[in-house]
Amino acid sequence: MAIYVLRRILQAIPVLFLIAVGAFFIVRLAPGSPVDKFRGGRVSPEVIANIIKLYQLDQPLPQQLWSWITTFPQIWRIDAWGYSFTDGKPVLQTIASRVPLTMLLMGTDLLVTAVVAIPLGILGAVRQYSLADKTITVLATIGYAMPTFWLGFIIRTVFGAQLRWFPLFGAYTLGGDQSPLDLLWHLVLPASTLIVVSVAGWSRYMRSSMLEVLRQDYIRTARAKGLASSRVLYKHALRNALIPIVTLFGLSIPILLAGAAVTETVFSWPGLGYLGVQAVITRDYPTVLAFVMVGGIMVILGNLLADILYAAVDPRIKY
Amino acid sequence: MDHTELLPLTTDAAGERRAAAEIDEVDLTPVRTYWQLVRRRFLQHRLATIALFLMAILVTAAVVIPLATGDAFGRTDLTLINHPPSLIAPLGYDNIGINIFIRLMAALQTSLMVGFMAVTIIVVVGVSVGAIAGYVGGVVDNLLMRLVDVVLSVPSFFLIVMLVAFFQTGNMWVVVIAIGVTGWTTAARLVRGEFLALREADFVQAARALGVGHRRIILNHMLPAALAPVIVAGTLGIADSVVVEATLSFLGFGIQPPNASLGNMLTHAQDYVFRNPILIYYPGVLLVLVVLAASFLGDGLRDALDPRQRLEA
Amino acid sequence: MADHQASGEQSLLVVEDLRTHFATADGLVKAVDGVSLSIRHGETLGVVGESGCGKSITALSIMRLIERPGRIVSGSITLAGRNLLDVSDAEMRDVRGDSISMIFQEPMTSLNPVYTCGDQIEEAIAVHRDVSRREARDRAVEMLAQVGIPDAKRRSGEYPHQLSGGMRQRVMIAMALSTNPELLIADEPTTALDVTIQAQILELMKALRERNRMAIMLITHDLGVIAEMADDVVVMYAGKVVEASDVMNVFERPHHPYTKGLLASIPRLGEKRERLEVIKGVVPNPLNLPSGCLFKRRCPSRMPICDVAPPFQEIAPGHVSRCWLTPAGEPPEVGMAPAEDVAIEAAEALSVAS
Repeated sequence: MAIYVLRRILQAIPVLFLIAVGAFFIVRLAPGSPVDKFRGGRVSPEVIANIIKLYQLDQPLPQQLWSWITTFPQIWRIDAWGYSFTDGKPVLQTIASRVPLTMLLMGTDLLVTAVVAIPLGILGAVRQYSLADKTITVLATIGYAMPTFWLGFIIRTVFGAQLRWFPLFGAYTLGGDQSPLDLLWHLVLPASTLIVVSVAGWSRYMRSSMLEVLRQDYIRTARAKGLASSRVLYKHALRNALIPIVTLFGLSIPILLAGAAVTETVFSWPGLGYLGVQAVITRDYPTVLAFVMVGGIMVILGNLLADILYAAVDPRIKY
Repeated sequence: MDHTELLPLTTDAAGERRAAAEIDEVDLTPVRTYWQLVRRRFLQHRLATIALFLMAILVTAAVVIPLATGDAFGRTDLTLINHPPSLIAPLGYDNIGINIFIRLMAALQTSLMVGFMAVTIIVVVGVSVGAIAGYVGGVVDNLLMRLVDVVLSVPSFFLIVMLVAFFQTGNMWVVVIAIGVTGWTTAARLVRGEFLALREADFVQAARALGVGHRRIILNHMLPAALAPVIVAGTLGIADSVVVEATLSFLGFGIQPPNASLGNMLTHAQDYVFRNPILIYYPGVLLVLVVLAASFLGDGLRDALDPRQRLEA
Repeated sequence: MADHQASGEQSLLVVEDLRTHFATADGLVKAVDGVSLSIRHGETLGVVGESGCGKSITALSIMRLIERPGRIVSGSITLAGRNLLDVSDAEMRDVRGDSISMIFQEPMTSLNPVYTCGDQIEEAIAVHRDVSRREARDRAVEMLAQVGIPDAKRRSGEYPHQLSGGMRQRVMIAMALSTNPELLIADEPTTALDVTIQAQILELMKALRERNRMAIMLITHDLGVIAEMADDVVVMYAGKVVEASDVMNVFERPHHPYTKGLLASIPRLGEKRERLEVIKGVVPNPLNLPSGCLFKRRCPSRMPICDVAPPFQEIAPGHVSRCWLTPAGEPPEVGMAPAEDVAIEAAEALSVAS
């Protein structure tokens, strides 16, 4: 098993480089020169020349690419990913400071979703077509159909602006004591937004998977052995039903990231997604590049996680 | 009962067949064409039929009303600020005197147009790439799939934001192209999968044995069979695209005022939430309706085109 | 032929007038419609019929494993004096896997893929016996050895997908027999297997039946298997029993036209033929059953009286048939008194008479 994990990690490394190349070219898609935003402003020509030299923008493209490829893995060097065009801070530093907040948001979402969606899915499958099942299905369908930004918008307007139960933006109260409690209070609305959509989607997957499993012959065998219904359900059925869910989870990380980015923007939650969107608006190319890289890395990690989890939970998989 | 019960009263061919069937249990079910069966299966799906109806209404409204009202969607009339609903303004007026209903329909038109056009690109590009990859196989297939992987590696939403922001915000075509360029991967994979399987199918081998050219094989024989998952993916893609467009407009990247989009109507509503809170619901509800209609339509099509694929949903 | 002279010997299982109906979206399907049979200790009852005749549903009804939209509508299933249709769910769970075990047709999918074979057998034991894990595990390995799996200890730690179809069926048998049941219901146990493996499995079942004095209800459409394994035979068609007797009678002196048709359609070695015998027509659509005799549309001996449901008549001692034809096989004469319907008594009588 350990060997398999190692092998998959090693396989992921070339993909990482491919993504670095891809990111490089994607950012270069923007028309005009990266330093255009500085011209016509209060930035002096010397500074602009410095920037050009610093980022080797006058060098031929292959050289710039090579420079990037060789520099980006050196993440122990704080300047490996350049400096932000907006605030001049090392990009790596900014990213590192924002990651925990996004992790907090996504982590809360995943945890609550797992705890709520799985039982809902099981309920729906076991009591198929009952009133409970139909209600859950209808609510889930509507919840899943809601655009994330609109849901966030409504939640924020109703609970934040109109009812004033929760704050409208940010992670901490300005000038406040930055206590964990304050953070939690700010977390409620953005997390709820993500959770509603997540639970809606995953509970349907769970129900679907459970129904598929309950139809199988080995469930009939388990009952024929004289096992109690709960045993059949939780020991035999659930274990099998969770296999596709678990692997799907790894693959859904990029989607989760996109949803988080939108939610962060709506609530001005200072996480990775918000940072990325801001960087695009302000044409902060080093940060944009870094963000694309981080996105790519998360995709790789997600795929890796999915493969490993799959091998771990399904004994049929050869590795 | 006597033996005459067994003899047909008429001796016409149909009667004889029926009598024979009585004795021999011959299956008399009339043969239907594939598309007739598809249509029948679809109509049995109540939700999908309602969805089709709903979609038809939405599309009709989105086409007809803006056509009939021209540029009324942007016309402000300061004497009608927050005026309550009337016959020509079923939803009333907003705080700068715009007819809400008319603007909503114009916004719907924009959103639907973006959705349909983006999906067109997705289908055209996706099917082409997938068909070539699946049919030719080998190195070409490998390369194309690597390309798919790279495109998928970047979270698509962010890529779209980047493309739109870098090239030109506010331009509908840029939005359409951005969504199309990032969304074709699923369709490509589906088509490739079908083609890989179909390549070995008997009817394809037969066509090749008869000397039918490659292009003809792909277009006339394999594509119709592989189309089913693409149709489904396309329908669901509409829902996705419409939401992406709305998100972009809401955040300020997409369609800008005075052009109407469901997204930027919400941005506008944000500023006036205390005076006219109802505004924050209309565009969103419309969005949800479009998504629901497209989703159920997709589900219904999936069941109708290939009932074997059906998952309890 | 098994010696059943001991009249008064209690039957192990008696099914009386069982009816299991399914309320489907297209209509009511009477999958099992008035089936009666019985099995004595240690005897093998073969249940024969085409696909869809209700034999599997009968077995599942005995185990009370029928689910929505199916329902056991009426009848009784008596095991050692108790009517299984009256007992509580908990009591039925005690019966399942302990007094009555069942094995199914598809060994490839009947075992849970995420647990080892040993685990699954252990579970069957642990649920019904108060033993330690070690004891259960040892017994599981012992069972695997008994069913002829080499290197049983190692194999018990393997997963179902690592075993072939024949081996998986052996595991199923091991699991079913691990609690020493009095009755084993085997639903087409060899249909999905290769012919050579089939022979091995049948030999295995014979040996185990011998050793454990176990009764078997063997469900199959394969008359060859019946000939080899069964003491008594019940022939089913469209949810009803159409003929029942001991295996010799059914093979040598079949009465019901359906049974005759089944036997005639078996190709025989050494026989030169131009065409194979078939039974004309198809099994009736359960939603559109004919009135009267269900076999009438396909019967070569069809008579006008077949529009009235035939009674279950006793052709000879211990041999019943649901047909209007006389015991001699002739159409009944006008004015003859209709035969007595002995369906239920015959089922029990079958056990006691020789």
